[in-house]
Amino acid sequence: MKLNRVIITLIPFIWSVGMVPFVNKSKPIIMGLPFLAFWEVAGIFVAFACIGALYHLDQQDKKK
Amino acid sequence: MSNEVMSLGIIFSFVLFATVIGMLPGLKEKMSLEGWAIGGRGFGRWLSWFILAGEIYTAFAFLGASGWAYARGGPTFYILGYGGLAYMASYWILPAVSPIGKKFHLMTQPDFIQHRYSDKWLGVVVACIGVAFLVPYLQLQLTGLGLIVETCSYGLIGRNAAMMMAFVMVAAFVYLSGLKGVATTAVIKDVIMIVAVAFFGLYLPFHYFGGLGPMFEAIDAAKPGFLALPGGTKNLDVSWFMSTLMLTSLGFYMWPHIFANSFSAKDPDVLRHNAVFLPLYQICMLFPMLIGFTALMILVPALKTPDMAFMTIVQQTLPGWALGLVGGAGALACMIPAADLLLTMSMLFSRNVVGKSMNIHDDHTLMAKMAKLVVLGATGVALALAIFAPSMLVELLLTGYSGVTQFFPMIVLGLFWGKSTRTAAWVSLVVGEAIVFTLILGKMDPFAIAGMNLNAGFVALVVNLIVFVLVSLATFKGTDSQAWKA
Repeated sequence: MKLNRVIITLIPFIWSVGMVPFVNKSKPIIMGLPFLAFWEVAGIFVAFACIGALYHLDQQDKKK
Repeated sequence: MSNEVMSLGIIFSFVLFATVIGMLPGLKEKMSLEGWAIGGRGFGRWLSWFILAGEIYTAFAFLGASGWAYARGGPTFYILGYGGLAYMASYWILPAVSPIGKKFHLMTQPDFIQHRYSDKWLGVVVACIGVAFLVPYLQLQLTGLGLIVETCSYGLIGRNAAMMMAFVMVAAFVYLSGLKGVATTAVIKDVIMIVAVAFFGLYLPFHYFGGLGPMFEAIDAAKPGFLALPGGTKNLDVSWFMSTLMLTSLGFYMWPHIFANSFSAKDPDVLRHNAVFLPLYQICMLFPMLIGFTALMILVPALKTPDMAFMTIVQQTLPGWALGLVGGAGALACMIPAADLLLTMSMLFSRNVVGKSMNIHDDHTLMAKMAKLVVLGATGVALALAIFAPSMLVELLLTGYSGVTQFFPMIVLGLFWGKSTRTAAWVSLVVGEAIVFTLILGKMDPFAIAGMNLNAGFVALVVNLIVFVLVSLATFKGTDSQAWKA
């Protein structure tokens, strides 16, 4: 599915860029990090998960 | 042993060890031009990983990120965000370029652009622009190294002497081993670097505040707003943050030396697989920031040069061995990316600028000789610049970043959109670069428009994209040649 791939690609951008206006604050401090920093670190894991999902889809296609 | 001797000993042994390891591949085998420049297209997951990762942890990550945290606070967090997005972009771009590179024997980014648009002079111009942006980036590594070694040797070695010694070594192993030398030394650099930044990044906040949370609580209480946007600045606000994230993530792979990873990887799957795990590496960028934040609360009086925050706080807190560790890791963080930059610059200049314009690029023996001579010449030029015209770290990086990102439309639309035309590539490149230069040199970065403060490079990229699409639509003749595809 082409559309799936496009959506998966956009998720990290929406998380790390699109949500910035709503997460621009220092409190609460989570896992020792100010909220904005925590959000961007969480974005790293979102990107990891999404790229991993794309990779998984591609490997499945290859097997077919 | 005195602090000075201890520190100097550690720095020397790190640098020397890496140089010797870097020379080995070149001493063991006689390399062809392809073997020297792009590792014979044979890099598997590990080498490909380290060459890429090696390009991320530069002098900027070491001094700049801590300096930014120290001086600007919240805006620094963009550095955490762009990596994952850049690798998402790379997941689409690199595996698409790789098979084309293999089939048509491409070795550099201008090779690819020339091939895609069958336009020799477009390749030459892109190569010239690439070199122009790589020179300040190389100089930045040199300046960083001089600063690091001078400080960490307690002034025993002056910065000019340090730069000269280190860069003779860099030139030597690039000359001998090419990309394989860069990759093997990058492994050493990354291990030392991560151990050093993780140790200091966690030790310092725990030592002074008993943890990260308490440290940030203290900063937030002392300087309300510093940890969000615009932090310690006036105009690095939410719109700047968002536009900078877009620019740095889309532009990351437009750096000629980073784009070249498409050619050194053994197959596209190596690139896909590494793209999955590279985001996690970005977490290491957090540590230099933590050091900068600690320095903000501890150092009295305030520093005149924020980039000194990392080294100053370590020097005040810990004995000589610790500063030696910082110095050694920092020196390598400048040397290995510099080696990679040198290699790419020499290829762009010898193969694309001189070779292609004079039609002698197929003579591989001549090209290899010339590329290696250019390595030595470029080292000299960068040294002269660093000694006689040094300047602040981050500004240089941001100008170059905006500049190379202007390749994005012609490369990425060129790859995925059949209607892309040669005329569009020319026009949009000129427009994009013109806006970058006008805004940044005219001190209009960030660019204030409609209540927003946009990253100047991002503004240029948006205009560039629109121009590219419009001109393509106007000039597309309806015959989509597929000949450039693999």
